[in-house]
Amino acid sequence: MEKQFDSAPGSEVSREELTAVMTSLEPDQIIFTKEQHHCPRRRLTRTEMLLFWALRIYLVFMVGVVVYQIWTGVR
Amino acid sequence: MKEAKTTSELKGDAVPRSGLKNDSRASINDVVITHEDIDRAHDREQVSKTRARRGFRPRLRLFWLLIGPGILVMLGENDGPSMLSYAATGARFGIGFFVPFIVLTFAMACVVQEMTVRLGAATHRGHAELIFDRFGPFWGWFSMIDLMIGNFLTLVTEFIAIRAGLGFFGVRPAVAVLGALVVLSVALMTHRYWTWERIILGAAMFNLVFVPVALLTHPHWGMVGRALVTWRPLPGGIPQETVLILLADIGATVTPWMLFFQQSAIADKGLTTRDIRMGRIDTVLGAALATVAALATMLATTPLFMHHMSTANFEAAEFAQALQPFIGHWGAALFALGIFEAGMVAAITISTSSAYAFGEVARRPHSLNLPFRQGRTFYLVLLVEAVAAAGLVLIPGIPLVYIVLLVNVIAVLAMPPALLFLYMLVNDREIMGVLVSPLWANVLALGVVIILIGAGLLFGISVIAPNALAIIGGR
Repeated sequence: MEKQFDSAPGSEVSREELTAVMTSLEPDQIIFTKEQHHCPRRRLTRTEMLLFWALRIYLVFMVGVVVYQIWTGVR
Repeated sequence: MKEAKTTSELKGDAVPRSGLKNDSRASINDVVITHEDIDRAHDREQVSKTRARRGFRPRLRLFWLLIGPGILVMLGENDGPSMLSYAATGARFGIGFFVPFIVLTFAMACVVQEMTVRLGAATHRGHAELIFDRFGPFWGWFSMIDLMIGNFLTLVTEFIAIRAGLGFFGVRPAVAVLGALVVLSVALMTHRYWTWERIILGAAMFNLVFVPVALLTHPHWGMVGRALVTWRPLPGGIPQETVLILLADIGATVTPWMLFFQQSAIADKGLTTRDIRMGRIDTVLGAALATVAALATMLATTPLFMHHMSTANFEAAEFAQALQPFIGHWGAALFALGIFEAGMVAAITISTSSAYAFGEVARRPHSLNLPFRQGRTFYLVLLVEAVAAAGLVLIPGIPLVYIVLLVNVIAVLAMPPALLFLYMLVNDREIMGVLVSPLWANVLALGVVIILIGAGLLFGISVIAPNALAIIGGR
């Protein structure tokens, strides 16, 4: 394994390290850029909202079923 | 930025970190470079250099550099409760319907995980972060809480597996659990995604320890082949126990934490759209290895079915003990070791998926490339969750069997809402561009959702109205 894979940088960021970052990473891979630019929020359509809630209700109901099964099992 | 800030624009030989001591960042012009960026850049440099070369060996090296998240997620999902499910399946039904069914569930996992490969490579962001950003904090926290609860319960079962696996060798529960926590912490000390990934990959390969165990039982390969083609013999009716095993086997391959883990790992590893092909190979290879291990576990316990042994309340160590007359002490020891490994690897990957998700939603640094000081929240979430789960396993009188049951079932039930988020994100042209899902991928994903909801409803009917199963052939 080459040295680059070994460890974290030392106490200073060298010119080579900065070059590596600028040339090897895509713009939106740099943490600073990611922190500055978040994906914009999208507006959910009524159908999407309905689906979200339907599946949420499904999950809550089914978890209730699991709890019921465990309760009867324990008894 | 790669285009805007070329090397010629870099000023000075070195940028001291002292200017930004608190977060160990270095700034040049308007760009702030973090420790995490530098580590990731070094990894990507290797990929670029290798990709530029031609020939078989560079191809092989590229493969070595890029594989990881797919194999880890698939072998990680072959965890304690999963192996227990496969063992119970083999012991209860022998060779038949469940052989091709398990292959089908891994095919389903491939369909789902392929979407996370594209999403991670295209956006460089984790799954929780994307849900939070695109659908807002309400749904972001909702999915986060789902994940955290599911992961915590699963982690408990991993420590149950660790305890049971090492229990076969006479290791006391407290020692087994504490030892596992030490291993988990040591793996984190690398502070380097690449090193961590290689260590866990090496450990995950021990999942294949079930293959020699299966071979020791001298399986009837003709029957295995016939079962794969004909899906027979069928389980015979649909009693509640069959439904539970069916659900447990699905829950053993397709679960929400896998979506979060693989996408975050891909972002942490720094994969880009050029790596999607290799990411797919990684995922399919992981699924193939996991299928082999799963089928081997099932075949290993088939002698218990042949000898009509009741295994209804078996835990992992009891399977190993029951198998001893058929495969000898070493075979049983390998089985127990496999259960320990399954729990150990999954404990590491699952707690990491929680830490990634929390960091993404809480906007805290989240990377295995971070030193502890910079990634305090990330490492603390990971360790606190693991310690809490490990502690729960040690409480006397806790109904561990019920927790295992709960976890497998909840994993299947929680999957459709998680898949809806994934489906919508991967079809979101604004973030995916040309990488949105093609029609065939959407059809397959829809098929997976229908199977999961169908299985969930079947389970619901089997609990609420067991007599109704008679209508569809149950008893």
